[in-house]
Amino acid sequence: MQVFTSVVVFGIVFGVFIITDVNSYKQRKVNSMISIARVIGANSVSSIQFQDPEAAREMLEELHSVTPEIIHAAITNRDGQLFASYSKPGEKAIKIPTLLKRKAFAFKDLQLFVSNPIMSNKEIIGNVYLEVQLSELQQIKQYKYELAFILLFVALIFSFLIAMVVQSYISNRLLKLVNSMKKVGKTGEYTKPLEEDGKDEIATLIQAFNHLMEQIQESQRKKDEFIGIASHELKTPLTSIKGYIEMLNLLEKEQPKKQFVQKALGNVNKLERLVKDLLDVSKIQSGQLQLNMEEFNIDELLDETISAAQSLSGSHQIVREDHLDGEIVYGDRQRIEQVLLNLLSNAIKYSPGEKKVEVNSEKTEKELIIKIRDYGIGVPAEEQTNIFERFYRTKDISIHISGFGLGLYICRDIINRHYGKIWVESAGKGSIFYFSLPLKHSLTSQQTEALNP
Amino acid sequence: MNKILVVDDDLDILSLVQMILTMNNFTVEALSRWEDIYSTVEEFKPDLVLLDVMLGGADGRDICKNLHLENQTKNIPVVLFSANPEMGKYIKECMAQDFLSKPFEMSHLLETVRTHVN
Repeated sequence: MQVFTSVVVFGIVFGVFIITDVNSYKQRKVNSMISIARVIGANSVSSIQFQDPEAAREMLEELHSVTPEIIHAAITNRDGQLFASYSKPGEKAIKIPTLLKRKAFAFKDLQLFVSNPIMSNKEIIGNVYLEVQLSELQQIKQYKYELAFILLFVALIFSFLIAMVVQSYISNRLLKLVNSMKKVGKTGEYTKPLEEDGKDEIATLIQAFNHLMEQIQESQRKKDEFIGIASHELKTPLTSIKGYIEMLNLLEKEQPKKQFVQKALGNVNKLERLVKDLLDVSKIQSGQLQLNMEEFNIDELLDETISAAQSLSGSHQIVREDHLDGEIVYGDRQRIEQVLLNLLSNAIKYSPGEKKVEVNSEKTEKELIIKIRDYGIGVPAEEQTNIFERFYRTKDISIHISGFGLGLYICRDIINRHYGKIWVESAGKGSIFYFSLPLKHSLTSQQTEALNP
Repeated sequence: MNKILVVDDDLDILSLVQMILTMNNFTVEALSRWEDIYSTVEEFKPDLVLLDVMLGGADGRDICKNLHLENQTKNIPVVLFSANPEMGKYIKECMAQDFLSKPFEMSHLLETVRTHVN
């Protein structure tokens, strides 16, 4: 772009120079020829008056040695008839061009025609015509063109070199900015502000970026602080409420008081789960949810979680149908437990009146797939991807089920962070939720894949 | 009768835990001022310390570490409890025996305490 601009600019400048140069050369020629014509005119007054064309012709022939460019010269009398003429040897006979009727000079091709009246006592008694070959003009033009071309070429190389240096300077700094923007976008890492060398627009841009990132970090920090405080402030009273209601439940034997206490306890537990879910979502969004990775026995965890979920519903029967043998996986035990518990309580919640929830697992070479099947209301095909979104609630208003719609969103995030997958399929009556966990020996390669897709 | 020292700056939780443990045949000393921990441990000689992490002015993790650095108290098991479940990550660092996240189930509290007193 820069090179193109400089070529255009130089082209225009050189063009103007050549045109003015050629014009001034022509002007000079015209002036000198007119003065020659005047001299001839003045000298030929007597020849015309005495009708001595021979003397006039001799004078004209002198021109050959004075200005060899003149190829034709002629003197006419007052009627316009040829009085005397001269032609450079080897040239055709003179023919006075018509284009000189009114003008003092004219150009045609590379020839200059000059006409000058011969005056005597303020009376025109004749005319001098000169025809000049401008062979020099061609040379001058060619010389100028060559010079302009060479200069243009040199300027082009120069501007290309300068553009390259400037461009690499500019694009290097821009690329640095873009890279650090990409890094921030991908990992959320912004450790130190970018250096801003110079005082140009790019430095201003970098400055603006640094300023923006500082603001983002500040608001991130405030948000984290808020999550921390909210977490503590919400859970502390909840701990008391839950504890005292549990105590009451233990001490109270009298109906319907016992029933009331149990209802309160059930709702406190629900509230506790909601608070935990909300805090988890805040953590996910601010990138603070960290996994505590360790090796653990998934077989054992399945049994534990099933018995915990079983206690939530006396009317459902949760059955394990697989035969794992103390299989070890690598992950955050607590978070996987959270996922399992969430899927199991969903299975119970969305299969009112049904008795059976099946838990199964399948081991492939690379991963362990856990299946949780219920015989409840199922998930319509068009909702199967949406249910993992935040705050998504089923469109089916015929059933009333409470909840924020955060559970599956959190599950998906936890499983994704384990480099696994979570999905749902319909199965005749009810639905099957699947999630996969990479087995420890294949985790390293999966991690590399996930980091360099 | 095992002796348990409970430290929490929230008085309601403090008396709740005291009640639960007393009902389950533990001798309990409840403390809301963290400044008194070291002297109480010396006098009361608990079999286990149940210690809140955010004590308003002090960090339960530091106290736990200090107890384990003292020869006289280094063998007393400490269970940290906090409303911030992230604190569970620090138990190795501050040499605590276990972590309990608030709110907790009564049964879970008793189970945890029983695991570590014996």
